[in-house]
Amino acid sequence: MATEVEEHVKAHTHDGIGLIRFNRPEKMNAIGALTRQQLAEAIKQAERDDAVRVVVLTGSGRAFCSGADVTEMAQGAGMRTPEDVGNVLRNEYMPMLTRLRTMPKPVIAALNGPAVGIGASFALACDIRIGTPESYLLEAFVNIGLAPDGGVSWLLPRLAGTGIAYEMFFTGKPLSASDAHRLGVINRIVPADRLEEEVRELAAQLAAQPRGALAGAKRAVNHALESSFEQALEFESYLQEAQAASPEFAEGVQNFLARRAAKK
Amino acid sequence: MIAAMAYEHIQVEIEPPIATVTLNRPKVLNALSPALIQEMTGALASLDADESVQAVVLTGGPKVFAAGADIGDMADRSAVEQLTRDQTGRWGPLAGFTKPLIAAVNGYALGGGCEVALMCDLIVAGETARFGQPEINLGIIPGAGGTQRWPRTAGKYAAMEVMLTGAPVTAQRAYELGIVNRVVPAEMTIPLAKRFARQIAEKPPLAARLAKEAVLKAFEAPLAEGLASERKSFYFLFATEDQREGMHAFLEKRKGVFKGR
Repeated sequence: MATEVEEHVKAHTHDGIGLIRFNRPEKMNAIGALTRQQLAEAIKQAERDDAVRVVVLTGSGRAFCSGADVTEMAQGAGMRTPEDVGNVLRNEYMPMLTRLRTMPKPVIAALNGPAVGIGASFALACDIRIGTPESYLLEAFVNIGLAPDGGVSWLLPRLAGTGIAYEMFFTGKPLSASDAHRLGVINRIVPADRLEEEVRELAAQLAAQPRGALAGAKRAVNHALESSFEQALEFESYLQEAQAASPEFAEGVQNFLARRAAKK
Repeated sequence: MIAAMAYEHIQVEIEPPIATVTLNRPKVLNALSPALIQEMTGALASLDADESVQAVVLTGGPKVFAAGADIGDMADRSAVEQLTRDQTGRWGPLAGFTKPLIAAVNGYALGGGCEVALMCDLIVAGETARFGQPEINLGIIPGAGGTQRWPRTAGKYAAMEVMLTGAPVTAQRAYELGIVNRVVPAEMTIPLAKRFARQIAEKPPLAARLAKEAVLKAFEAPLAEGLASERKSFYFLFATEDQREGMHAFLEKRKGVFKGR
């Protein structure tokens, strides 16, 4: 009898949308060694596959992702020594989170529930977040005696401001969906039973946009986050020059003129 | 007017007053085989002599600059064979190229590939560029100037990290270390390098040549000797037609027309 490998992460592509779903609902989608391996593969494939024009990251069941599988950590499956902790962050989480932030296509987090610890990192590394009233973000590290990781020391101050970030890191208390929405950390909140459809609509809309233009926006923002205003202007001008040479631009201008002519 | 010459491992495109040399073995990530090196250095030697060309872009194309030497060709060679073939000593026409040379780097510039980039005068890097000297992973060290040119530009500590860990640095890091002039979207790397080349090609060629020579001298000579040499070149340029033209054009508020004389 062949042993069946558990599917901790499900990935499938449909109509240009690459859906990646945490799939351990019985563990609130906690991330263990196998999850990391499957998630890394799914993210890598989503980046490489030209058929994928938009990526959606979501969870199954009640949670988006409850963070690292602490039970597994305590049992020491692949994460025992302090050095191992560092190595998992550097060698496994870092490439995944970097890839989400830099892949030349939009990545949407559909926050079907809580995003905790490294789960919050995955939510915050996406480009856009859509939540439900049941969503919340929690930097739980302090509750088990750890400092923040998974890029949140960089992401959260930028998205929510340093005051909110510090409060979350120091207290280990959640940021509710409504607060996250008010701060702009979550783009919008929809009823839980509408989440899938709303995200699909948004993803379909983005999948139909000129892909080079979207990739350019993402590259420009990522570049700007690490540069001065002048450098950002310069980078934009090169980016726009490349984009202006693309068929997307020629087609976009044609369509614009045709639409205007039709209105007259 | 574009003239192309026939090569097997590289492409040479001459669009006066600039030329572009493209390493063209994409299937092997532009590995620097003896045949490729021979073609490249040969092409550079003839471009150096070509009066229609004033600046040259050296690139590996849109995906990769050069991922290093041809290891398959090297793995079982003896020290004596390496010495007598002296492959790494055959970069003279590149290192000694007298006209401005601009590297347009996308993707990997590793090992010999990185050293080739460091022999150029300006480096334009795409976001995808990675610079590194992974030789140590193979039980050797860089052999085409890497250990000397890295510390002279990026400093001792960055050079040590690159040499001793074998890990490549990103385009952005290379920019911070000062070995890259611009980091741009990958599709703009070659166009921007060509723009630099055209901008430089409009300058009086003798001044460009002596400016390059003077800057390179800074890596070779003690300050007093470098300054003396600079001063001689400075005075020498007053013997050229282009100096007269340049200064009179400036006074007459018009654009100078330079002849390289």
